[in-house]
Amino acid sequence: MAGVLLNHVTKTFETDTEPSGRKYVLKDLNLTIKDKEFICVLGKSGGGKSTLLNLVAGYLKPTSGEIIVNGKTVSGPSAERGVVFQEHALFPWYTVSQNIQFGLKIKKNKHAKEIADQYIHMIGLEGYENKYPASLSGGMAQRVGIARALANNPDLLLMDEPLGALDALTRENMRKELIRIWKQAGKTILFITHSVPEAVYLADRVILLKNGIIDMDLHIDLPRLRDPKSREFINYVTMLERGLAEKETDGILSE
Amino acid sequence: MTAQKISKERREAIRVQKMYDRIAANEKIMLQKKQRRENAKAARALGVKKNAKSEWHNKVARICSLIGFFLVWQGVCMLNSNGAFFNPTFLPSPADVVMTGYKYIQDGTLWVQIWSSMYRTLLGFALGVVVALILGILTTSFQTMDNIISPILNMIGPIPVFAFLPMFIIWFGIGEQSKIILIAYATFLPLMTYTVDGINNTSPVLIRSAKSLGANQFQIFTKVIMKSALPNVFVGMKVSLALTFSALVVAEMMGASRGLGFMITNARNWFKVGDMFLAAALIGLEYTVFFSILTALEKLLFKWKRSGLSNAVET
Ligand SMILES: Nc1ncnc2c1ncn2[C@@H]1O[C@H](COP(=O)(O)OP(=O)(O)OP(=O)(O)O)[C@@H](O)[C@H]1O
Ligand SMILES: [Mg+2]
Repeated sequence: MAGVLLNHVTKTFETDTEPSGRKYVLKDLNLTIKDKEFICVLGKSGGGKSTLLNLVAGYLKPTSGEIIVNGKTVSGPSAERGVVFQEHALFPWYTVSQNIQFGLKIKKNKHAKEIADQYIHMIGLEGYENKYPASLSGGMAQRVGIARALANNPDLLLMDEPLGALDALTRENMRKELIRIWKQAGKTILFITHSVPEAVYLADRVILLKNGIIDMDLHIDLPRLRDPKSREFINYVTMLERGLAEKETDGILSE
Repeated sequence: MTAQKISKERREAIRVQKMYDRIAANEKIMLQKKQRRENAKAARALGVKKNAKSEWHNKVARICSLIGFFLVWQGVCMLNSNGAFFNPTFLPSPADVVMTGYKYIQDGTLWVQIWSSMYRTLLGFALGVVVALILGILTTSFQTMDNIISPILNMIGPIPVFAFLPMFIIWFGIGEQSKIILIAYATFLPLMTYTVDGINNTSPVLIRSAKSLGANQFQIFTKVIMKSALPNVFVGMKVSLALTFSALVVAEMMGASRGLGFMITNARNWFKVGDMFLAAALIGLEYTVFFSILTALEKLLFKWKRSGLSNAVET
């Protein structure tokens, strides 16, 4: 069980670039995420997507309003809300396997090793178990970051552009894996991405964040696995791209 | 009948032919494999040789420089053996210094000096490291501790370490205690800064990710903050080591009856310049040994640092 409720959430940062001295990154945001829902957040760079995720993760405190996860007000980070970071954030002094086992070891899980092996297989990094993050490529490190969050088995997964550094084929496989895990383990997922087709491919609902408010909240009514070449799919993509563009005339070159 | 026979022979011939073909194909594959192995080997050898060559070059040049230094020194001393340029007792030759060392090893007095210096360094250094770690951790973990300790350190920190020796002697006596405390203090001061720096520079993203994986405050400290600060602590230890040894020599020059520093002051009283050179060389050697141990430990502990980019740009 992991529903999320954002109740009139405002977040400001102090800054000297604004005449008022504060920058409103999120303005009076209301959002309900149902249990086991897959939500994608789209928005411009600097639009407050990571801020939203950091608030739900408990790293930041809302300036006003409250965030409720699973019936409890969020007051700090916890293991029931797993996070995959935009920059992979692996522990450089631990090997790939030790990184994935980190949360399991803390929970004193006796099967940490086997679970880690399972996820290493899933992300296709067999043979890299004992390598340190410094010797991985960007995309490999990102996959380890995803595996580390998944292995900890949180109810709610917060993912900040986790597939950004991957090639098209690996990204495709990771998307499918994600859908499989989401379906099978019944998780709630909040997924940030820059790619409109990716959002339409993955999400139950796509949220478009613009100037600190929710500009669009779109249900994707397509059965999975979705075909990116289908007419309906393309319609959704066009709709969102139009919303993303500042002016009607702005064109966006899609993925 | 004949037709049958012929066909049988032909079949046999085809079978044999096929067998030969198979063998030939196998052989070809084996040959290719061997060729590839040899190519790889040659390429490896070439690459290694190329690297090793320039490395070897550098090594030889460095060793030659050292040998040249001692040869010139020895040469000057030999030219001057009858006092043509200056009084030969002022500058003993390298051979004289080695002979002095040999003499003291024979009569057993050298080991006492080496060991007492070693013992003081070890104890003082260890004490300094422990105190620096404890205070570094306390000041970074608790604001109150920082408020209490930092102002005091900021006040006495700028005072040169050796100014404290006479006070330490009055407080802790002329024996081992005052010396070890001086060495410990000299080690502690710079190391504390490095420890605090290391702890404060822990990446916040790593602390966040540890928290979201369920780590509590203590686990974050042991599994993230300390792990991340340790390389900096080692840099601090290496930097402190120079001060550790300076403190050792100063402490031993003031009111000691054993040790390499004592050997130098004692030699001055008897104008035994050879003893001075010997003691100085041994202090240098001891420092090198300590430094190498720290470097080896670093290599062992921080494998994770070396597995990535080693050079900014490959040359
Ligand atoms: N700690 C902070 N202090 C001040 N301003 C901040 C802070 N964190 C974020 N901001 C500002 O808030 C805005 C939103 O940042 P955020 O990281 O949420 O954007 P984003 O949508 O995730 O962008 P991207 O897609 O590039 O990752 C930016 O304008 C940024 O400058
Ligand atoms: Mg972001």
